[in-house]
Amino acid sequence: MTAPALTAGPARRTSTVLVASALVAAGAAALMGGMLAMWLQFRANAPTRVASDGVSLIKDWLKKDVAIPEVASNTMMFTFVIACVMAQWAVYSARRGDKSHTTLALAVTLFTGLAILNAQVALWMQIDIVLRNDAYETMFYTVTGTMFAIVASAMVYSLVAMFRVLAGRTGDHDVLTGHALYWYAVSGMFAAMWFVVYVQK
Amino acid sequence: MTATQAQSATGSVAVSTSPLGAVARWVTLADHVRIGMSLALGAALWLAIAAVVGVVLGVERFDVGASVVNADAHIQLFSVHQFALVFGVAAPLMLGIALWSVPSQLHASNISLPRLAAFGWWAWLAGSITVLVSYLGNGGPGGGSERYVETYLLGLGLVMLGLVALAISLATTVLTRRNGLPLSAISLGAFSAVVGALGMVLTLPVAIGTIIYLWVDYTNARVAFGGAGLIDSWLGWTMREPQTLLYVAPALGVLGDAAVRTAKSRQPLRGVMLTAMGIAATVILSSVTQQAHVFTVGTSPSETLASFVPYALFNAVPLLSPVVVILLSLLALKAGTPSLSGAFVAAFLGVGMIFTGLVGSAAMHLDVLDLVGTVFGEAALVYVVYGAVLASIGAVALHAGAVTGKALPDLPVTLLALLGVAATVLASLPHYIAGLLDQPRAAAVGYDDSGIVGIANIATSLGHALMLLVLIAFIGLFVSSRRSAAIADRYRVEASA
Repeated sequence: MTAPALTAGPARRTSTVLVASALVAAGAAALMGGMLAMWLQFRANAPTRVASDGVSLIKDWLKKDVAIPEVASNTMMFTFVIACVMAQWAVYSARRGDKSHTTLALAVTLFTGLAILNAQVALWMQIDIVLRNDAYETMFYTVTGTMFAIVASAMVYSLVAMFRVLAGRTGDHDVLTGHALYWYAVSGMFAAMWFVVYVQK
Repeated sequence: MTATQAQSATGSVAVSTSPLGAVARWVTLADHVRIGMSLALGAALWLAIAAVVGVVLGVERFDVGASVVNADAHIQLFSVHQFALVFGVAAPLMLGIALWSVPSQLHASNISLPRLAAFGWWAWLAGSITVLVSYLGNGGPGGGSERYVETYLLGLGLVMLGLVALAISLATTVLTRRNGLPLSAISLGAFSAVVGALGMVLTLPVAIGTIIYLWVDYTNARVAFGGAGLIDSWLGWTMREPQTLLYVAPALGVLGDAAVRTAKSRQPLRGVMLTAMGIAATVILSSVTQQAHVFTVGTSPSETLASFVPYALFNAVPLLSPVVVILLSLLALKAGTPSLSGAFVAAFLGVGMIFTGLVGSAAMHLDVLDLVGTVFGEAALVYVVYGAVLASIGAVALHAGAVTGKALPDLPVTLLALLGVAATVLASLPHYIAGLLDQPRAAAVGYDDSGIVGIANIATSLGHALMLLVLIAFIGLFVSSRRSAAIADRYRVEASA
């Protein structure tokens, strides 16, 4: 006698949190992408004038005497790598049912974000430009300020995910995967901004 | 559980019926029917504002010498009309109707992320009121009051943020609550809704980024973006074709579903229909260039080709979307045994009007016609937005039975759709003609108002007024059908049979 065949179980539903995280990340990427595109357009169209030597051309964009604090900007870039590793560690720990390591990983992600914000503020204090002078300064503070807000939003996500784990919802892997996905996306956005604003200037 | 609810010992939930409780329930609303209806109602109020402004503009332009409003307020009046049509009516109305009906199309109990959708509704409402107040305070593009120009930018950003939140909720609903169905098997309405929602998620943040730039520049140096007078040149792409096709994309699905139900058969070329709806997503590229692409015949074939390719990509390709949907809907009718329904008539005429607007926009970008900067573009926008309103009437008629349990009667819906199309044509077509006769846009001076142009302007006023009547009549029909005891839901009867 053969055993009756089991009926198929319900189809696995796509995670709402994961899809929503991906969509929010896509929207944030569109926001930053659009802002960087305008930066590139303004830089390309910046007026040029003849220098005092009468030969060379000067582009009215970044002033010659303004130095970008590259230590702070490069430190931020590398700190994002740590944030991504920690976010992925949280996913790995949660899958193993390791609540303490999941919490630790999320806490480190959160504080890594705080370190990035701290570095950004340090960069603003070190760079010798004010908001009221020209197009470069306006755009510099706007694009870096928006990135600051996006990193802050990722930190809020880390905080919420951490509280959920602390409250015992360790089996909710989708939130942690969505959290890691968002940090990857934010890191990608920062890498693009770092290259355009801090490296290419 | 909210503060207005109390759970009894038997587990049943008693809901407070006090006025305060009702207000609290409305404020904390988080179900798709209420959010969708709130958005539709808000859009209806903005449609009334747009219609009234349209009437005033028509009267203002009827006689160049006479002046109904202050000449300094002209730019703002044209601007508020544009804002009202696009971000007051088209985008929230389509999102609202989609949120209202998509769960029933997917057999889901509610939308995904209902609190995010509720945030989106409140953000849109607060933002749109802020924008209206800023216009009244001499703000907006070209506004003279610094404080209210800043307020305008804040309000516009809030409106877009709200729409993005709503679009994320809608797209997540369709992508995650399909009950195991592949995307190719879901209803055409849900598919077109996700196309439009994803388009908004990817394009509106670009506009938000521009708004942040504009606001920082306006409140500080004002050296990069040129102040209030140039706001429209930076953000105008969000309020004109082809970008508007993304906002009204759900209308395509309404027609597709209405045709299938009317024909009582399957769509013979469903794959082609889905592809046509997907073509609307090519408009996402409009956020990349953010400018009008005019086709100019060059001095050499390569020069002509270089002008034609971007023109075709941004103006001609999006036309394929509504035209294929219209043709395949007719094919579905031919394949089945149709009995004409109000939903189909309204959706068919609505998508037809959207197509007419997109054709007008494509024609406007032909250099040989020299129509850029004329009222031709304004007419194209009115065609698209009023077409979306007609399609929304079709959507409500199509899904009212499933969502509310009471269907709308066919005959009044059909009559209102016919009246609505007359209003749309009257509000738009005369400006196509006036545009060909070089009447400038966003100005009430600088053209010859005698003869056809003068008549055209007053005709548009009549068209807007007629659309206002259609709106009021449809709301009355909807409310009366909700109150009536038993109007048979024929679709449900057919389904059970």
